Amino acid sequence: MAVDKTYAHPDMLVSTDWVNEHRKETDKYRIVESDEDVLLYATGHLPEAVKIDWVNDLNDPVVRDYVEGEKFAALCSKHGIGNDTTVIFYGDKNNWWACYALWVFMLNGHTKCLIMDGGRKKWIDESKPLTKEVAKYASKPFKAGAKNPAIRALRDQTLAHMKANKAMIDVRSPQEFSGERTHMAEYPQEGVLRGGHIPGAKNVPWAKAVAETGEFKPRAELEKLYLGEAGLKPGEEVVAYCRIGERSSHTWFVLKYLLGFENVKNYDGSWTEWGNSVGLPIEKTYQPA
Amino acid sequence: MTASLNDIIEAFQSVDAETRLELLLDYAGRLPQLPEKYRTQAAHDLARVQECMTPVFLWLEKDGDRLRIFAEVAEEAPTVRGFVSILIAAFDNHPCDEVNQSPTDLVKQLGLDGQIRMNRAVGLTAIHSRVRRAAA
Repeated sequence: MAVDKTYAHPDMLVSTDWVNEHRKETDKYRIVESDEDVLLYATGHLPEAVKIDWVNDLNDPVVRDYVEGEKFAALCSKHGIGNDTTVIFYGDKNNWWACYALWVFMLNGHTKCLIMDGGRKKWIDESKPLTKEVAKYASKPFKAGAKNPAIRALRDQTLAHMKANKAMIDVRSPQEFSGERTHMAEYPQEGVLRGGHIPGAKNVPWAKAVAETGEFKPRAELEKLYLGEAGLKPGEEVVAYCRIGERSSHTWFVLKYLLGFENVKNYDGSWTEWGNSVGLPIEKTYQPA
Repeated sequence: MTASLNDIIEAFQSVDAETRLELLLDYAGRLPQLPEKYRTQAAHDLARVQECMTPVFLWLEKDGDRLRIFAEVAEEAPTVRGFVSILIAAFDNHPCDEVNQSPTDLVKQLGLDGQIRMNRAVGLTAIHSRVRRAAA
């Protein structure tokens, strides 16, 4: 399936076929695999792809924050990413981690970023080439630019957003949303004291935006989901959150680039911050039987 | 603690972080095949480790005073596969009391806690706990 041209910004996505045709143009593009499983890249990856790991490369080891400034520049340089290089992200789990990595790059002001629609799964399903050999590129100068805080919501901004009754999408599972569980099914112990959601948030689990092929659903289906079921009004200001900001960066991508919500922010503190914070209200709909 | 586990921990502790991940990947590639008799849906329904992020299936049986371990883990989850493969190398066909007394902070002793985020490490610890309980 080709990329749906009716998306608000179809140019943010490239198909697996397109990547296969252009992957050798490594002076213009850098393909980055970003997975949940730190070992997956080593089991076989797209021949030109380098690996960027969400734990070891993107998170700051000391502050609960993302790498920025010189550290971010060093990460790009090391992989031969210059300020003019277009970075194409793909990964496991429906590009969940690829969207997260893209969001961190965008936050750092590198806007030349694309997603390979369908991710690792589609590439492998189509028997496209894989290798275990690690791709290496000569380092390139990368100058850290101005950050782009407009795509990120911090705790107090989220609180103000909530008080103003503005739209919020909670992308976790219905059980996490209701407060029955404090973590995703099968992902225990993320350290949250209270179950529930931010008052006023609507629940649209992130993976509903993905088709069985691993690609994003066509625009008409996404509109049914977010404009229909969740009741978002076109163009309104939205905050998306989950538990640590990774699943919601997937929904952030969908709302911003596929549906054209210009003013959508990812609240990366998410439930592990909100659910534990002193003084913040929650809504809990789950009633133990 | 079994002698096999001691050797594995020593091997992991003697190398740098990057080599440690390579060792783990080696183990992932060496996970023994699941015996035929376990390859049914009904057998899988009971063997699922609920606490773990990835579909992990464990069959734990006592054979006299020894513990037998059989497992199935998706190839898309090499980290978990590698860890389960280590548990098999360390504990399968070993005396139950030695398995039961293995260190509860095994993930840390293998030096993997730095590279694997906390919640994923908890999933691995849950798998190890289940093995230890089966040997009690």
